[in-house]
Amino acid sequence: MLSYIVRRLLYTPLIVVGVLLVTFLLFRVVQGDVSSDIAGKNASPETIAEIRKEYGYDKPLIINTEAARERGVLAVFDSQFFHHFKSALTLDFGRSRSKQKISTLLMEGAIPSLSLTAPIFLGLLITSVSLSMLVALRRGGPFDTSVVVVCVMGMSLPILATILFGQYFLAHKLGWFPVFGYEPGLAGAKYFVLPALLGMLAGLGGDVRFYRTVMLDEIQSDYIRTARAKGQGTLRILYKHLLKNAMIPIISKVVLAIPFLFLGSLLLERFFGIPGLGYLMIEAIGARDSQVIMALTFIISILFVLGNLATDVCYALVDPRVSLN
Amino acid sequence: MYRAAMFTGSLVATLLLTVAFVGCGESGGNSEGSENGSGSAADRGPLVTYSATSAKVRGMDPMDIGDTTSSGVASGIYDCLYQYHYLKRPYELIPSLAAAMPEVSEDGLTYTIKLRGDAYFQDDECFKASGGKGRKLVAEDLIYSWKRIANIKNISKNWWIFDGRIKGFDEFREYTKAVKDKKDVDYDRPVEGLEAVDDLTLRITLTKPWPQVVFMLAHLPTAAVPREALAHYGDEFLNHPVGTGPYRLKDWRRGSKIILERNPTYREELYPSEGEPGDEEAGLLADAGKRLPLIDQIDISIIEEDLPLWLKFLAGDLDISGIPKDNFDTAITPSRELTPEFREKGIVLKVYEEAATYWYGFNMEDPVVGKNQPLRQAMNLAIDRDEFLTLFLNNRGVPARGVLPPMIAGYDKDINSPYTVYDPELAKKKVKEAEAVHGGPLPVITLTMGSTDSTARQLGQWFARSYERVGITLEVEYMDWPTAQEKVKTKSAQMYAMGWVADIPDAENFMQLFYGPNGSPGPNNMNYKNPKADALYQKLSVMEDSPERHELIREMQQIVVDDLPCVFTLHRVAFILRYDWMKNYKPHVFGYGLGKYRNLDAELRRQRVGR
Repeated sequence: MLSYIVRRLLYTPLIVVGVLLVTFLLFRVVQGDVSSDIAGKNASPETIAEIRKEYGYDKPLIINTEAARERGVLAVFDSQFFHHFKSALTLDFGRSRSKQKISTLLMEGAIPSLSLTAPIFLGLLITSVSLSMLVALRRGGPFDTSVVVVCVMGMSLPILATILFGQYFLAHKLGWFPVFGYEPGLAGAKYFVLPALLGMLAGLGGDVRFYRTVMLDEIQSDYIRTARAKGQGTLRILYKHLLKNAMIPIISKVVLAIPFLFLGSLLLERFFGIPGLGYLMIEAIGARDSQVIMALTFIISILFVLGNLATDVCYALVDPRVSLN
Repeated sequence: MYRAAMFTGSLVATLLLTVAFVGCGESGGNSEGSENGSGSAADRGPLVTYSATSAKVRGMDPMDIGDTTSSGVASGIYDCLYQYHYLKRPYELIPSLAAAMPEVSEDGLTYTIKLRGDAYFQDDECFKASGGKGRKLVAEDLIYSWKRIANIKNISKNWWIFDGRIKGFDEFREYTKAVKDKKDVDYDRPVEGLEAVDDLTLRITLTKPWPQVVFMLAHLPTAAVPREALAHYGDEFLNHPVGTGPYRLKDWRRGSKIILERNPTYREELYPSEGEPGDEEAGLLADAGKRLPLIDQIDISIIEEDLPLWLKFLAGDLDISGIPKDNFDTAITPSRELTPEFREKGIVLKVYEEAATYWYGFNMEDPVVGKNQPLRQAMNLAIDRDEFLTLFLNNRGVPARGVLPPMIAGYDKDINSPYTVYDPELAKKKVKEAEAVHGGPLPVITLTMGSTDSTARQLGQWFARSYERVGITLEVEYMDWPTAQEKVKTKSAQMYAMGWVADIPDAENFMQLFYGPNGSPGPNNMNYKNPKADALYQKLSVMEDSPERHELIREMQQIVVDDLPCVFTLHRVAFILRYDWMKNYKPHVFGYGLGKYRNLDAELRRQRVGR
């Protein structure tokens, strides 16, 4: 397994270069020079030129042959792409268009995002897996049918409608939760309850449907019948036999979702005033703040690559039939 | 700071920015140590006001501030040389850091300004020599602050304020170009037109007469910052503001909340004792003579969505709010009054005109629209401005027929054009004339919208339908605001949505948008050129405000309205709601940092909402 992990890690730099190239092409080449936009409405040409210099737009895109001729061969890397490459690898993403340090913005945003998405993720996982095991066990019965109907309804309901409903009725009308707000630390936990519940509600339908299908495949297997024949209790069948054997698709879904937890939930963050990374991302897109977008994309890509690796390792850990050779 | 705004993308946003503008300045309560206040903060607990802004604060370095929200917040922390009188109308400047209005030389080129000697920077750890005690403000601080704007390495958006205006200042900027790093810039390098005669005397020498300079000295980017703070915080100064204002930053949870607290070392400044007729009856002089600021803390939430903002206001969690478009009819009756239900809650409505004009500009260098006056006339005639206001703004505006909004001196309601009214039949005739000028059928006209939201699309459809009725085919392209701006700046947009919110109460602020040499990427986005208008602008821009100047402004406006480089659409009217526990609220279109004047009946708030 170790050799597999090392081999996969060796591939990682290539993937990173690929990610950097794609983000570079998207935000530097396709989007183009945004210096005059940064400079504001009344900027003089020299101010725009200075901004071009500050953000590196005055350099060639990929390689700097002119600099290489003047300053030596190493100066060939004095280009927009290699500066982008260097800033990503050193995690020094520079400053946003509002001159805020991007690494600070990312660190400040990650905690609120995770404070919201981690409870949603865990709550959703536990609820949907448990519920799907139960409905699989009672397939075709009234409970199964009711859950499927509710799931389809849940999947059909846009999250925006769920948020508006929760904010208006549960928070404003009934006063069960705060309408809006954020406080760091435990004092702020009350502000996360409603958005977390709504996030879970919005995701429950799809997740239960997915896990139900997985469980139904497994529940018809011989080992379940054998366990039943031996007279084992329902809970033991569900959690010891069924769940363990259904772990592969669960792991695939779960581990790959973890990197995106850092990105938070755009709508929930915006409506409930949680200053997370989802909020930051949409703001950056709106303002064409390519430095911030590239930084976020890069971080998520790296986490995704690592998540993929962790998925493969988890396969081998939970299922001895999986070999990483 | 000039502020251009596209109307479409900000139907709701600008409404909430109003909240930001007003909210950031709201306050209440009686000041500690005031003569007839209700006791100290220790006796009655701190008085706190709650407001909201619809956009994040980007930073609090005056040099970089260019947006309404950041200005609204930072203006509580910083002071400029001058400020607007809170109550008097028409708007009037009064000294702030200055001891008096400037002495101006006969040729209008030299301004000598005496500083008051009791203004101190807020206590901060950057003042290491005094163990964190803020020091007295001196004339050199202002010169240093302005040189930071001039330093090209700082890439400040606010250089336009001084560009070409002060003797030797452009040369200083040139010098900074050659310096390798911004930290290496020598701020002690002399500038001919900026002289600290002594600690409390500043002399400014202009390159040519510029009567509006005094307004600019009340403009937040020109506020004083201490050199020590920059040395201590470096690039992070934007998150650690240190000024001389009535409040200081207590807490900033970026993207969530900002809390300002009373600056205990704020100079002695009193609530005004005179205003305009009606102010006394409105209770606006009840705090006359009391020491400012009147409240202890300003709590500003950042709420970008309409629903939570509105729900928090209804719950009494916010003292003041704008009215989201979708909730307008629940709060306001068809006769433009507050509904009884809202009045019973102790909510008060204030309606006032904003200093803004919105239009759909033509690129006058475009071979189709720029060279075809009958076409531009037809495109103006085809627009039903009343329907536009009803459909998109709940009638929160008045139709615009010219450049200046009504509150700006020089506005003339008689300036008009037979083509800025809705007349589809005449529009059809003008289309025929336009085709003759063009030499054949008119091509498709492209309108650039700097927003992709549903309101922008509705607006686009409405414009296309309006033009279709008179025989003009309009294609609308939707994009984000920065991309649209880029198209406008590079003269590649044919027709685009734009507007102008005045920064100063002077017509020049608007007329410069129609001055030929200011073409893109300058503020004249329409690239409009008319030698007669240019000559008039050159005269009026260096004149003191006077009836003669108003006549020149009127003439220039008439030329512009005759040429129609845009489709004038509207001047906005703001509808602001506040609870009656909030006192001393008087809208001010230009002033920032008004929080120090506001007051609060904390007992009434407790009775109403238990807070």
